[in-house]
Amino acid sequence: MLPIITKRLTSLVFVLFSLTFITFMVGHLAPGDPIQFMLGGRYDPARYQQLRHSYGLDQPLFLQYWSYVTGLLHGDLGKSFQFAGRPVVEILAPGIAVSLQLGVAALIVSTLVGVPAGVAAALNHNRLSDRAIMFVMLALFSIPSFVLIPILRALNFMLYDRGLPSLPVAQWGTPEQAVLPVFVLAAASAGYVARLTRSSMLEVLSQDYIRTAYSKGLPARIVNVRHALRNALLPVVTVLGPSTAFLVTGAFVVETIFSIPGVGYISVQSIGQRDYPVIQATTLLLGFAVVLTNLVTDLLYSVLDPRIRVA
Amino acid sequence: MPSVQGSSVAGRQRGLPAVIPTPQPLGAALLGRLRRDAFAFASLLFILALIALCIFGPEAYKELAPRELQQYHTYNFQDFKNINTGPGSVYQDATGTVYHWLGADALGRDTLARLLLGLRVSFLVAAFVQVINIGLGAGLGLLAGTFGGWIDMVVSRIADMLFAFPGLLLAILVSAIFGPGAQAAAGDVGRLLLVSAALALVSWPLMARYVRSQTLTLKERDFVLAARSMGVGEGGLMFYHLLPNVAGLIITAATLDIASVILNEAVLSLLGLGVQSPTSSLGLMITLAIPYLRNNAFQVFVPAATLTLLVLAFSFLGDGLRDALDPNSR
Repeated sequence: MLPIITKRLTSLVFVLFSLTFITFMVGHLAPGDPIQFMLGGRYDPARYQQLRHSYGLDQPLFLQYWSYVTGLLHGDLGKSFQFAGRPVVEILAPGIAVSLQLGVAALIVSTLVGVPAGVAAALNHNRLSDRAIMFVMLALFSIPSFVLIPILRALNFMLYDRGLPSLPVAQWGTPEQAVLPVFVLAAASAGYVARLTRSSMLEVLSQDYIRTAYSKGLPARIVNVRHALRNALLPVVTVLGPSTAFLVTGAFVVETIFSIPGVGYISVQSIGQRDYPVIQATTLLLGFAVVLTNLVTDLLYSVLDPRIRVA
Repeated sequence: MPSVQGSSVAGRQRGLPAVIPTPQPLGAALLGRLRRDAFAFASLLFILALIALCIFGPEAYKELAPRELQQYHTYNFQDFKNINTGPGSVYQDATGTVYHWLGADALGRDTLARLLLGLRVSFLVAAFVQVINIGLGAGLGLLAGTFGGWIDMVVSRIADMLFAFPGLLLAILVSAIFGPGAQAAAGDVGRLLLVSAALALVSWPLMARYVRSQTLTLKERDFVLAARSMGVGEGGLMFYHLLPNVAGLIITAATLDIASVILNEAVLSLLGLGVQSPTSSLGLMITLAIPYLRNNAFQVFVPAATLTLLVLAFSFLGDGLRDALDPNSR
């Protein structure tokens, strides 16, 4: 176990370095002088120098990178351009909680839908129900979220027109407001989870020990749950990593269209205002989230499946 | 991957009798096999039709309107008599009558004209990205796989660095920061190139990784040993023996990548990072029409359906190509 952790941590350091370095360089290469932009018409050489110094832009590049990284380690994501002097952390903090709720809810929903769907499809291998389930899951996986959203909203309007209860399509906070965005965000990874569960389950069902279990006279339900599902779920754990990556990109779209004040929404707003430090911080934050999920997934997998440790 | 194909191609190139006879050149054989896959072949025809449509469509559509009213069939002319209309809405004055075949958007701009331009943008971005993806990704992957050593080291490290960014994040970052500059410097073309470059930044590391690992596998094969023993140098080996054998993989990977590039371009447009209005793109059309979904859902579903069909067509074609190139994978 220890060598795996060491190896993973070494590569983690490299990945985190890449994230911070590329983000820093992109920000550094950004066209235009942010200080001049900030001062606008009230340009004054003394004030300009003072601000340049306060943002640390008068230092050599590698020192700037160094103070950027040490700042990050102290939880300092820089200062916003748009709201002069206000720390980025302060701007993003409320969004993090919202995005986390949205993301975790979507992850749970996609697992709760995807795993049973995959199992059901595998147990009915090549029958009509298998085809039907997999068709729906493939559709969920491949319909882009911004196509799914108008479809759902149109359905919602139809409910409203018939006087049936309909769902709110903007803002965040109440459970009703969460239904549509969580569904849209969960759709793609639910499809992915279902496909993976199905193929993993099919593989396990063809193993010798399943036949052994049947020949012992165990009922199908016990074999399916205790022998097959338990082992089939192992590879499904690995889906956590890619799913989080889906959710991160999806969050930008879903938060923007549903006006949910999460990290993605704040970031898109800052794009309009050319508030580079906020955009950079969002990229880093979401990148970190995915990297850490990947690490946890790998470690979890090697805990659950001892065979991996040997390899 | 191309196991059977591989030995025969290498054999033919050196004028030796092929181990397994392939009477047709690779391209024709591929097309023949693709034709047996109904979905993939239909997708290919569909894509070719759309390409023709996006090249000739905008001008042809303009010509279909009466001479004095041709502006009503352009992407940025606002017909204030037809705001948010459905298919077949009419503008009529003393000079004649003109139909908006697919209606007009919330600003009175003809939907079909905007759709055709949006298709053009999608295909242009896809083409630019694949030029970079194949040139940079496949090129570096091939170099890294063939020569190994420090080239491999540098290429693999850079690809690993870019892999640290999940999904679209890097493309969002790059197009957010350089977008306004590119727009100011070169207008829509600048935006288009920037979006393509940003999306290529996401695509090429994967292509490089595929091609590199395929090249490494091929290098262990007997035909490479045979070529070496005939005195073929590393460069010749790469161009005449390895490249023809990874070409199939490159084409397949690029086709599948186009599907995600078209989708990602739409996402960037949706976030306000793609081409800017009044120029049209499929993602932009969806974004601009969503607020009017209740009154005019048609304006959302036309670009959304086009986008979905386009993405599906490229996915089917990519899958078909993969099967056609490697009969064992089925």
